[in-house]
Amino acid sequence: MRCHACARPANVEIRRSRIAFCARCYPDWFRARVQERIDHDRMFRRDQRVLVAVSGGKDSLALWHALARLGYRADGVYIRLGIGGYSRRSQEKCERFAEQHGLTLHQVDLEGREGFVVPDLRDARHGKPCAACGTVKRYHFNRVAADLGYDVVATGHNLDDEAATLFGNLVHWNIDHLGRQGPVLESTHPGLVRKVKPLYRLSERETAAYALIERIDYILEECPMAKGAKSLAYKAMLNSLEEQQPGAKYGFLVGFLKQGRAALPGVGAGQAPELRECVRCGQPTTAELCAYCRMADRGRRRHDRASAGVSSA
Amino acid sequence: MGVMRVTILPDREVREVQASTVADLLRQLGLHRDAHLVVRRDEILTGDVRLTETDEVEIYPVISGGRS
Repeated sequence: MRCHACARPANVEIRRSRIAFCARCYPDWFRARVQERIDHDRMFRRDQRVLVAVSGGKDSLALWHALARLGYRADGVYIRLGIGGYSRRSQEKCERFAEQHGLTLHQVDLEGREGFVVPDLRDARHGKPCAACGTVKRYHFNRVAADLGYDVVATGHNLDDEAATLFGNLVHWNIDHLGRQGPVLESTHPGLVRKVKPLYRLSERETAAYALIERIDYILEECPMAKGAKSLAYKAMLNSLEEQQPGAKYGFLVGFLKQGRAALPGVGAGQAPELRECVRCGQPTTAELCAYCRMADRGRRRHDRASAGVSSA
Repeated sequence: MGVMRVTILPDREVREVQASTVADLLRQLGLHRDAHLVVRRDEILTGDVRLTETDEVEIYPVISGGRS
């Protein structure tokens, strides 16, 4: 297989497009795809400040790397979620990346600031905190961006993430979530910062290839809390289909965004729920007390009980 | 076609496999092509690359989960 750009022996094949690139040409192709999405989906402009939500994984660090190389004013934010050694190792990866590339990294220490950690948020039914962890991350990414005056929050969600989310929402016919799924989440309140996903048309494999070729030192291990997560089952199923039909994941997601979403009731009709400020923290919410503050109360109670149990043992 | 040693990350599990190409290797191991990268001496390999028993290759899983 030969490189589509220079005809040298190829390293990375893009099966859905029936092309391949060598390690020298691939990063340019990858960054051009990121730039294309930023421009086409009007994600942000060059004069705006971007806050990249980083986890130490390949997607968020590859996104931060690509944005910096494309010349954007992109800083990072990392949340110390308190998931034991995994969190410590991922924090080190983010700190080292920022230092190596001379970039600014903001950090939120969940335990120090809020008095709980993500393992305190395991749900009673499945024992998994993934949904609650998502709420924690979205809340603090938005809070930090709003407090520090960033124009937009960028996350490393890739094609596989977005296709798996779409599949999960279809399995459960979650119409509300389907209507909100997309690469740009507009601000509907002064305290709500725009969210964008510049990697949403690049597969997880393509992002990992970029990280390896650019020698980005990312955390390879899986979050211990995510073992057995539904998203992994959806991704495996979609990859089985992709094996037989290259391009199936891309067509599934992009077809939905182009055609399916518009057919949903309420989408694009200006029916966004009315937001007000949480009575406790001031962040935008539809309720009097926001979902995060309610969840944090539960997390703190469990954290205190666990700490008391440890100290009395 | 001889037996080659393959290291699967992140746990560095070592497997011995008979495979003629990179795509064949992943098939033998029951791994999805879109969920893995196969690397030899720091170079990512495309599915058509021929492998020999002296090759030492590493397989990087690329899928992460639990995200919302």
